Amino acid sequence: MISISKKAWTWLALALAVMCAAPWLFTENQYLLRVFTLIIFWIGMSGCWNLMSGYTGYIDFGPVVYFGIGSYVTAIGMTKFGGSFFFCAPLAGIIAGIVALPIGAVALRLRGAYFAIATFAFAESMKQICLEFDRAFGVSLFEGSHGITLPISSFENIFFYYCILIVTFAVMMIHFWIEHSKYGLGLKAIHEAEDSAEIAGVNTMAIKLRAYIMSAIFIGILGGIEAYWITYITPSDVFNVHKTVQMVIMTLLGGMGTFFGPVVGASFLTILSEVLGTEFVENYLIMVGAIIIIIILIMPKGIVGTIKEKKNIRFI
Amino acid sequence: MEVMFQAIINGLLLGGVYAAYSAGFSLIFGVMGVVNLAHGELIMLGAYTTYWLFDLFHLDPYLTLPFSMAFLFLFGYLIQKFIINRVIEQPHIMSYILTFGIHLMVANIALKLWTHDFRTITTAYSGMNAAFLGVNIPYARLITFVLALLIIAFLWFFMNKTETGRAIRATAMDKEVARLMGVNIREIYAVTFGIGAAITGLAGSAIAPFVIIYPEMGLEYTIIAFCVVVLGGMGYMPGALWGGFILGLAQSFSATYLSAGISVAITFVILFFMLAVRPTGIVGKGLVGQ
Repeated sequence: MISISKKAWTWLALALAVMCAAPWLFTENQYLLRVFTLIIFWIGMSGCWNLMSGYTGYIDFGPVVYFGIGSYVTAIGMTKFGGSFFFCAPLAGIIAGIVALPIGAVALRLRGAYFAIATFAFAESMKQICLEFDRAFGVSLFEGSHGITLPISSFENIFFYYCILIVTFAVMMIHFWIEHSKYGLGLKAIHEAEDSAEIAGVNTMAIKLRAYIMSAIFIGILGGIEAYWITYITPSDVFNVHKTVQMVIMTLLGGMGTFFGPVVGASFLTILSEVLGTEFVENYLIMVGAIIIIIILIMPKGIVGTIKEKKNIRFI
Repeated sequence: MEVMFQAIINGLLLGGVYAAYSAGFSLIFGVMGVVNLAHGELIMLGAYTTYWLFDLFHLDPYLTLPFSMAFLFLFGYLIQKFIINRVIEQPHIMSYILTFGIHLMVANIALKLWTHDFRTITTAYSGMNAAFLGVNIPYARLITFVLALLIIAFLWFFMNKTETGRAIRATAMDKEVARLMGVNIREIYAVTFGIGAAITGLAGSAIAPFVIIYPEMGLEYTIIAFCVVVLGGMGYMPGALWGGFILGLAQSFSATYLSAGISVAITFVILFFMLAVRPTGIVGKGLVGQ
């Protein structure tokens, strides 16, 4: 383990303290609390994607599948088996992780576009299975396209803020660990030159599989929390390919394979879409498309990556 | 027995349709390594070209094919020349995300211009079937099937028998050496994307008489094109036919004997196992690697 400076710990503790205290500054304004929750939610989601794809360079186009699995595990656990939320949400993460093991073991043997398409195919097929399972087998488990309505929670919005904050903070701690450990070096070596890394004695398969499962677990928990927060889920909603795309674009915008990439990208894009979405309801998606194209053309390394390159600053 | 024949015929016709609009995707991937996520939008634009020419000038849908081909060639050529060529030397992820941005822009501009109305083209011969040994064959699908074969034959001829085609193949094999031999790589890329877009637009026009046309139709076509091309072998042009037929038959059989909804799931399961077991496609001639 590479030693971590005291300064870095101080900054982390400070960041956590600010995030914990933040909602108390605007308890009156539920809208602001919601935007704030969305920001940390997307930091967590794009952080999970960054964990796997940002560091290793394996482009996962189907992370949303674990979000959907997490949502459904929580929803089915709570409605059909009467489990409590505090049991079901962690269970969602565990089941997402268990599913990720065989899928990752197969898909991670593929590279480049093939890996991207395989993960994408898996996500789409899970969506179709959730949609059609009940009708095909005559059971009542996933409820098809009607979706599942979860019991309405007695908790305030602020409860979900803290739930999501815990997960997001854990994801960011893993980033921190990756930036400062031999394991992280292994991930980066896969990105730079996988074959050379393998020859140098890095067990690349184990390393990337571990990253894939870790990201699946946290995405699953986030899915469980969001399902209980929204209280209504449908397959086309929780497996929506736009969730994947948002994770990818936020990370890319911030900077792939950097600690601050997901934070900057998710904050920027969430605020931008809040502003554009309310100001320009009709042209919003055209603008998002244009912004994506412009970012790729002028800042292919993302905001953090570009700053790093220009100033040669090392974060943390 | 008749049900099975009908399922086979449906599957083959569907496969032909799939092959028609996937060949361009395969071409673009094979030459440039770009997974074109705006592929469905090219189909959408082709279909709308046909719709508007039919609606405003009462042209027969099949007479609009040259127009949509020319329009989409220009569209593809310009997009590659001025946008995608700028990131072509960078990691491929850039081009995925760039084409996704193009997908969002094109689909939503189309939504703004043409609203969310579902549009269909009704001609004198729509809904007409050829009955043959108790099996029904819709004319419109049959024509598209023949067109698909023609598109792939044309592509094969173009790639193997013309000077530009040779330059394209050389670029796909080794772009540095091709450059040394005096091939203008960027121009070749632009022409390749133009041709890919043109045949995709052609396919879009050809399916217009029997599908519902709306601005957001693109994404599902992109997804099917993905599956078809992986099944047949990425970058291997006749593979689009193989992939199309396998997928068409699998869907038609599962829709006949199981349920229509589960057929889509079966598609993806086939795709996933195909990638895991045989990523070079069913005939093993696809490109693998980065």
